Amino acid sequence: MAMLEVKDLTMYYKTLRGYVKAVDSVSFELEKGKALGLAGESGCGKSSMATTVLRLLPSNGNIMGGSVKMDGKELVSLSEEDFRKEIRWKRMSMVFQGAMNALNPVHRIGDQIMEAILAHENVSKQAAKDRMLNLLDMVGINPKRYNEYPHEFSGGMKQRVVIAMALACNPDIIIADEPTTALDVMVQAQVLTAMEGLRKKMGLGMILITHDLAVIAQTCDDVAIMYGGKIVEYGSAKDIYLKPRHPYTMGLVKAFPNIAAEKQKVRSIPGSPPNLLSPPEGCRFNPRCPMATDKCRTEEPPLVKSQKGEQKVACHRESEIEEGVDIWQ
Amino acid sequence: MGFRNYLLKRLGYALLVLFIILSLNFLLFRIMPGDAVSMIMDPKFDLATKEELRSQFGIDQPIGTQYIKYLKSLLSFDMGRSFNTRRLVWDELKERLPNTLTLFFASFITTAAVGISLGVFAAARRGTFAENFVTGAGLFAYAVPGFFIQLMLLMIFGYYWPILPIRGTMSAPPPPGAMAQFLDRLWHLILPAGSLMVISFGSWALYTRNTMLEALGQDYIMTARAKGLDKKTVLYKHALRSVLPPILTLIFMSLPGAVTGAVITETIFSWFGVGKYLIDAVMQQDYPAAQGAFYLIALSVIVSNLLADLAYGLVDPRIRVGGGAK
Repeated sequence: MAMLEVKDLTMYYKTLRGYVKAVDSVSFELEKGKALGLAGESGCGKSSMATTVLRLLPSNGNIMGGSVKMDGKELVSLSEEDFRKEIRWKRMSMVFQGAMNALNPVHRIGDQIMEAILAHENVSKQAAKDRMLNLLDMVGINPKRYNEYPHEFSGGMKQRVVIAMALACNPDIIIADEPTTALDVMVQAQVLTAMEGLRKKMGLGMILITHDLAVIAQTCDDVAIMYGGKIVEYGSAKDIYLKPRHPYTMGLVKAFPNIAAEKQKVRSIPGSPPNLLSPPEGCRFNPRCPMATDKCRTEEPPLVKSQKGEQKVACHRESEIEEGVDIWQ
Repeated sequence: MGFRNYLLKRLGYALLVLFIILSLNFLLFRIMPGDAVSMIMDPKFDLATKEELRSQFGIDQPIGTQYIKYLKSLLSFDMGRSFNTRRLVWDELKERLPNTLTLFFASFITTAAVGISLGVFAAARRGTFAENFVTGAGLFAYAVPGFFIQLMLLMIFGYYWPILPIRGTMSAPPPPGAMAQFLDRLWHLILPAGSLMVISFGSWALYTRNTMLEALGQDYIMTARAKGLDKKTVLYKHALRSVLPPILTLIFMSLPGAVTGAVITETIFSWFGVGKYLIDAVMQQDYPAAQGAFYLIALSVIVSNLLADLAYGLVDPRIRVGGGAK
């Protein structure tokens, strides 16, 4: 049994014009100590997925169905109070998108870390402080700076503080939502390396949400590619990065130039992500897919084991795509 | 570094503003038609008497000399004598200042308490009837002219349902006993202070609600919730605490407004205070009295602005370094 099992999870935002189907029957699993990448364009439901799992939805976000199980225990039906006390931060913590604002500007960073510890564990203030200093040291921040305010740190350092905070209660899973997007490339690499090192050392599971496939290829064991609120391809990072089977994933991989490969044109996928208020009939990718047929426009493809690869793919015409053929040519 | 420099800088600004206001105050009364002597003079007086009076009031001297003298005397709170009562203006103001301060603090504290808690209450219940009610009531109180609400309250509680006194700071023969006198003063305070609260809580409630909603949408609130903190901690320690700087600024920025707003309130409720003194002085063209009251009000505006700046520096760590947010 996997540590985290998400099955048919469905979450809609209720708006005046109807339901926005941001997460639609999404299923995946996360083993202890493994990393899963969740990738896709902006607005495909990645971040909604994360907030759904941690139940941090805004008041108009409704979980319509499905289940999230941690060690076999159902989390969706857990009471708000139990979820807050038992799951949040203690079992699952989160590193947020836009780390620049993830820390409260009016509280000292040390206090913000200690607060998480004291909220969940019955330890003395001194013990919490010792652990906080230790955490800062671990992420490469001088512990002497614990009583400084967030604005006294650079972006990369702030993100390290956020990571230290995420590790404060020894969680089993960290959900990292675009943890390095706001940082420049050098700092990005440093933060990612630091995070990976700590994760491996502490045996943490991680769900890494990003639109940067290269980051996923570098850090994750498994990948789920999301499109229009659904997972369209799911399997090991190596398989998906090297031998993508879904037309969308193929386009996505093509959109990232490889610095070591021969010079080639970076290609974008024409069109834009679907409006999730009224997603297209059938396969949600069909309006942008070069291979779409009538069946694709009427019938939704299930996520099943690929005919020609190891991963799972949701595409009617997957079996017709020969390996190495560029369908986006 | 940091806070001390910030403090000195603010103090310097305050002194500069005070100087400018004093100069304007001086000029304003010099460019008004007629001079002080023409106000109290009978047309039948002969020229010698007129000159005599002019030199008594010191307005026969060149304007520069008058200005220096004016600045010097204000520093020692010497505001001259009232034309009407012939008493020292500062003595008269001193009698009234406690009444004004009482009214001011009573209304100010209730307004802040009611306004801020209703704002937090509304923000925490976004999209419910309770929020709409608070917003609606706040907007109504904000939009209707203050004196109208005050007159209505006066009519309701002073006339139709006479449970509160309609005028004054205490009963004409004060009741015997210190305790009874205190309660009597409190009883007289309810209507003026309460009506000031009613007319000004709206802007506080709306402002608090808006800044709170903005704060609640910030990433760090999501972090606080994700950390598994309970609702109260998220609401107060994280959201309210982070919007405290702007709210505190609003508090202190509205101090001067509350001082001057008291002018109308004191007139409506015949409150024996500085505001009413100013109105009476202006009505009777009592220049020294009006100038003195203006000076006192200007001083309180400057001091409250200074307090606002200092408080802001204390509650928002980003201000202290002087460079603002990075």
